[in-house]
Amino acid sequence: MENAAGLMARVRERDAGAFETLYDTHHRLVYGIAYRILGDTAAAEDVTQSVFLKIWSNPERFVDGNFSGWIARVARNQSVDVLRRRSPAAAELSESIPDGDWLEERAFSALDAEAVRNAVATLPAEQREPIELGFFGGITHAAIAQRTGIPLGTIKTRIRTGLRRLREALEQTVIA
Amino acid sequence: MTAHDAMLDDVAVYALGALPADEAAAVRAHLATCAECTREYQRLKPAVDAVAYSAEACADRAAGAVVPNPRLKARIMNTIRPQAIPRLANVGEMRAVRPIVWPAYAVAAACLAIALITSVFNISLNEQLHQSQLQVAQFATHARLLNRQVALQREELADLTSSDSQHYAVEGGEVVRRGNRLYIAMQTMAMPPRGKVYQAWIMRPGATRMTPSVTFMPDRGGIAVLPIPVQGTKVVEVAVSMEPDGGSKQPTSKPTFVVKLT
Repeated sequence: MENAAGLMARVRERDAGAFETLYDTHHRLVYGIAYRILGDTAAAEDVTQSVFLKIWSNPERFVDGNFSGWIARVARNQSVDVLRRRSPAAAELSESIPDGDWLEERAFSALDAEAVRNAVATLPAEQREPIELGFFGGITHAAIAQRTGIPLGTIKTRIRTGLRRLREALEQTVIA
Repeated sequence: MTAHDAMLDDVAVYALGALPADEAAAVRAHLATCAECTREYQRLKPAVDAVAYSAEACADRAAGAVVPNPRLKARIMNTIRPQAIPRLANVGEMRAVRPIVWPAYAVAAACLAIALITSVFNISLNEQLHQSQLQVAQFATHARLLNRQVALQREELADLTSSDSQHYAVEGGEVVRRGNRLYIAMQTMAMPPRGKVYQAWIMRPGATRMTPSVTFMPDRGGIAVLPIPVQGTKVVEVAVSMEPDGGSKQPTSKPTFVVKLT
């Protein structure tokens, strides 16, 4: 099967077939992130539709690199935007994740979702919870500290430690 | 913990997207100048993506997966299709595989036309081949004649110049005999008037009258070299006279020369 970068090149040429293939291979990731953040199916479908229509209308936003990581960040940011419009406590919400850089390694671009879920599940709860709150909750480190009652410095360190451990677990998955 | 260790923690939170805007801007500015923090950011980014992947909806509804309504895809595709441009390759493929259906009468007419054209073409080719074969045969015959002439001329030349030939001088030339072959070789022979030719005569041993032989004409230089078609050893006398065109059975004029072959 043609890789996502090749499909995106065809989408730039207004190829509906390439776009459909991208949808088929990535819509569950987009929808899953949106549903995890927003908590309801209608809003998750709206975000999914919005993300894919933006890909069609502005494919140049994806330059190169890991398409799955890129579209995941777009879906997360779009979902957090929805939260921001909904929430009376918008000040708690974090800034969007940068989606314009492509520093991630290609080796991680084809990870199986089940393997990733298992890797995340192996993290200690004290590290996994602030990470998931930051990513799926869309809230700032200060809001995480406030909700969990843990000092801000500790939250930051646990987030960094958890991400490093997750990275190591993923490396083992890739090597295996 | 040093200030830089604290910055590395902020880099991790930035990668996760959990910083407020002002702190995120500060980290971005720092990343532009710090190689160690940039490396840390690059290391942690895939881990953040992995967190995102972990949210991918399971496809198995029976297992309680939350999946989007199938009509969502139809809505999205209906929105984008009017703006899509058909791929040229696909159009080409479609044209390539599209069958061409001809009416039966058109097929029959086409077959008849092809058969007629082929037949005419074949006839024309056969005629050309026949003409070519005829020309080749004519050339071959001509070549054989030329070869024969060349061989005879070589033989005549050898007979006329050989040291064992017998030469009998006459006015304006000579008669040459070599073995069974007999020649008249004239070098200065006047051209006969219109309607006249020269004719050779031979006398066989024991005969009382001359026997008519070949008629001939000298060339414009007065030269005439010709073999006399007779077994040379059975001729005792040769004569030449001027005769009407076509030759005579008896000499009708005074002989140009008469020579005994003794």
